[in-house]
Amino acid sequence: MTPGIWQRDSGTLTKLVPVLTTLLFVIISMLPFHIPGFGSIAPSFALMAVFHWTIYRPDLLPLGAVFGIGLFLDLLNGTPYVGLSALIFLLARTAVLSQRRMFFEAPFLVLWIGFLGLTAACFLFEWAFVSMLQFTPLQPRLFIFQAVITAACFPIGSYFLALAHRAVPTSEA
Amino acid sequence: MRLSAPMKAAAQRLTLPFLIFVSALFAVLGKADILLFDHARVLLADAVSPIFSVASKPISSFSDAVADVEDVFAVYRENQELREENDRLLRWQEAARRLAAENSDLRSLIRFAPEGAVSSIAAQVIADSGGAFLRNVMVNVGSNDGVQRGQVAMTGEGLVGRVVEVGSRTSRILLLTDINSHIPVTIESTHDRAMLDGDNADQPRLVYLQAKSDVTSGERIVTSGSGGIFPPGLPVGVISSTGGMRVQPYADLSRLEILRIVDYGLDGVLPQSAVPAPKPVRGAKNTADTSR
Repeated sequence: MTPGIWQRDSGTLTKLVPVLTTLLFVIISMLPFHIPGFGSIAPSFALMAVFHWTIYRPDLLPLGAVFGIGLFLDLLNGTPYVGLSALIFLLARTAVLSQRRMFFEAPFLVLWIGFLGLTAACFLFEWAFVSMLQFTPLQPRLFIFQAVITAACFPIGSYFLALAHRAVPTSEA
Repeated sequence: MRLSAPMKAAAQRLTLPFLIFVSALFAVLGKADILLFDHARVLLADAVSPIFSVASKPISSFSDAVADVEDVFAVYRENQELREENDRLLRWQEAARRLAAENSDLRSLIRFAPEGAVSSIAAQVIADSGGAFLRNVMVNVGSNDGVQRGQVAMTGEGLVGRVVEVGSRTSRILLLTDINSHIPVTIESTHDRAMLDGDNADQPRLVYLQAKSDVTSGERIVTSGSGGIFPPGLPVGVISSTGGMRVQPYADLSRLEILRIVDYGLDGVLPQSAVPAPKPVRGAKNTADTSR
């Protein structure tokens, strides 16, 4: 079989797939779906991408990229706390990386449970951090909703990440 | 840059703590409203807006199609309701005409200064903030279209919020439900003043109400005009029936599609930021903003 253009060009473009899909997931989570109330509980697709690539290709989603993508999200969504998502993604990446062996060849259900735990931790952290900076405890209801929706949408996100994954060269750095 | 192996290892070990420190520092400083972030936001929003515009089109047409199908089923009932409403509105029109005539008579009697010219443009929502603690939307008009910071965003039903950030072809609207939104309002029937503070819930809170005595659910809340950000009398919402001094906005903030950005020619009175800015980059016309 002759290698397709993606395989042949494995030196450059395909190595950007993890970063590009993560950026794309950031944008998708901000599209106006015109579903009542959806905007405030839109799933954090970017977290799925960070989770996926940290497990399978941490070399292609390095710390600097995670930091940059977090800043990109924060600047785009108009939060007063630029850097919060960057912080969360960095911590998430660190946590997942430490458990990488467990997830690497685990069945999907284990991945899903792992992601559920990660999501809960991230949203708890976000809630605590913003509450602290606002000097008032925010209503936890929406954070819980968003965490539940994010975890529930994990199979959808994973499916598309797995598709994109096929384009990435297999050699580990 | 060439580094020796131990140096390289040390640098690698330090990357994570360094980046964590920087992002935490940014997040804490961000509340102090750094101009650098404002610029980066505007530039990035302008750069990404074509993607949002394109991507939001199919979603928009899909939800329109769903709405069309729903409309077909609802058409008979709706027709009946519209007839009744039309009857009612005709009576109101009659009353309004009478009042307008009377009003103009009275104005000429007291030489009332006419209101400043009001202009407005339509704007389409192209992005949601997508966060549990953020209530803002991005729209597809910016300074090229004459939008300025501090202008008022409305729907046909009522107040939505105000423009807090302007790029050349995008702007950001802070919704009145955002935790950083504080709007001076009055209760229409009693003229009691209060502040409408968002707390990210669907219904913002009414605080600092002067006379707490007799506020009943269903009373109309309008802007008071104090502070010079919003003109007086814009419809905001009604006191919610669920109690707890909350206001149900007239505008359906959960599904905003098209907004009207209105220029009432107000300059506002509050400085952009309490922190002294290094230099006035956007000119002196940074209009008022109680929060960001």
